[in-house]
Amino acid sequence: MNIRYKRLILVILFSLFIVPSSFGVLPPVPQTPRNYVVDLANIIDDNIEHRLNGYLQELEQKTTAQFIVLTIISLEGESIDDLSITIAHDKWSLGQKGKDNGALLLVALKDKKYRFEIGYGLEGILPDSLVGSIGREYLQPYFRKGDYSTGIFAASLAVASEIASDAGVNITGMPKLRRSIPSTKPVKVGIAGKIFTVLFILGAIILFIKNPRLFLLLLLFSSMGGGRRGWGGGGGFGGGGFGSFGGGGGGGFGGGGASGGW
Amino acid sequence: MGKGLKITLIILGVVLIIGIMISKWAIGQYNSVIAMDENVKGKWAQVENQLKRRYDLIPNLVATVKGYAKHEKELFENIAEARTKYFQAKNVKSKIGASNQLEGVLSRLLLLREKYPDLKANQSFLKLQDSLEGTENRIAVERKRYNESVQLLNTYIRTFFGRFFAGIAGVSAAEYYEIPEGQAENPQVKFGE
Repeated sequence: MNIRYKRLILVILFSLFIVPSSFGVLPPVPQTPRNYVVDLANIIDDNIEHRLNGYLQELEQKTTAQFIVLTIISLEGESIDDLSITIAHDKWSLGQKGKDNGALLLVALKDKKYRFEIGYGLEGILPDSLVGSIGREYLQPYFRKGDYSTGIFAASLAVASEIASDAGVNITGMPKLRRSIPSTKPVKVGIAGKIFTVLFILGAIILFIKNPRLFLLLLLFSSMGGGRRGWGGGGGFGGGGFGSFGGGGGGGFGGGGASGGW
Repeated sequence: MGKGLKITLIILGVVLIIGIMISKWAIGQYNSVIAMDENVKGKWAQVENQLKRRYDLIPNLVATVKGYAKHEKELFENIAEARTKYFQAKNVKSKIGASNQLEGVLSRLLLLREKYPDLKANQSFLKLQDSLEGTENRIAVERKRYNESVQLLNTYIRTFFGRFFAGIAGVSAAEYYEIPEGQAENPQVKFGE
């Protein structure tokens, strides 16, 4: 068995142990964001959501920083500070490993609360006081009028432009937008994901039958390497052929950012 | 004779293998208790970083608030006292105690914005408030991570073998960073009074 083949199996097995990890503690939030704007509360205008997705995707492509917008209906008794760091740090691991350049804007509709969670690596560009001002100046005024779309759009652009200008890049936005039909996208990803999973399991079973020793060895290896979620952003696979978010890169958060209400 | 030698050799071999396994296990246990102890220390250093950040912010915040609330002398004195106490604290336990004391008076400082509405319009107060709230949140995050590391170590030390290996390694149970009962992390603001 040559090295290339072994490596392929290793990659397959590695992903095998990431894919089925779909048991969450927080029921309403997806295991991995499908896109940069995750509008679970359904308060963002489709057109704005589409544009924002485009900008934030370009932002990641140019700066590697991952900024995700998440709206939920209710915190269900949880504190927004706890929930947002749990999602950003533990669940999604936004930002690249080592750079810790992730950020999350969480909006809880019924609780009338929002929070910007800023990764370690972005705290210098986006100190708490600046993020607090962005919330007060761009988000709160619109939210008070019930215009959530514009508030989220303006505040997100303010955050994104800070990251972009620090990196010295321009977000062209509009021309970069992908004109895919939103309703077909999740289905596509879903089927592809299922096929992959089935293939991985089949591969693992075949390997187990043919060479149980190697299987166990790889099992050991993959569990050692799999301690941190490092797919997508790291550049393995899933490099973004679907025009959507490729997954968190393993960035860390330490509670930086600012919260507010309206 | 040949048969006896063979059996002796097999027994010796088995004993040797068991011996190697046990010593490997023991070394592993010893190393992991050291690693857990180091983890606790590292996490505590993170907590201290954030606490220091808080103490650096306080003088600016107090100076801003003083301009609006000259009559809150007692509060300012309490803050200064709690701050000094922290810097005098030598061990983890007394640092935690001093921090908890300060947390209480700090939340009262932030509550002054309800008493002096002009404060809410002051941009530098708002920014300092953001910084302080951000720092408090960071402290909460690091405190949680620290407590998790303490739990890992302390649980291990309480196990049958854990006590033994911790004794050899000279590692003792660590102190939890606990917030006293009744001290809410976020001050409750009463409206309509």
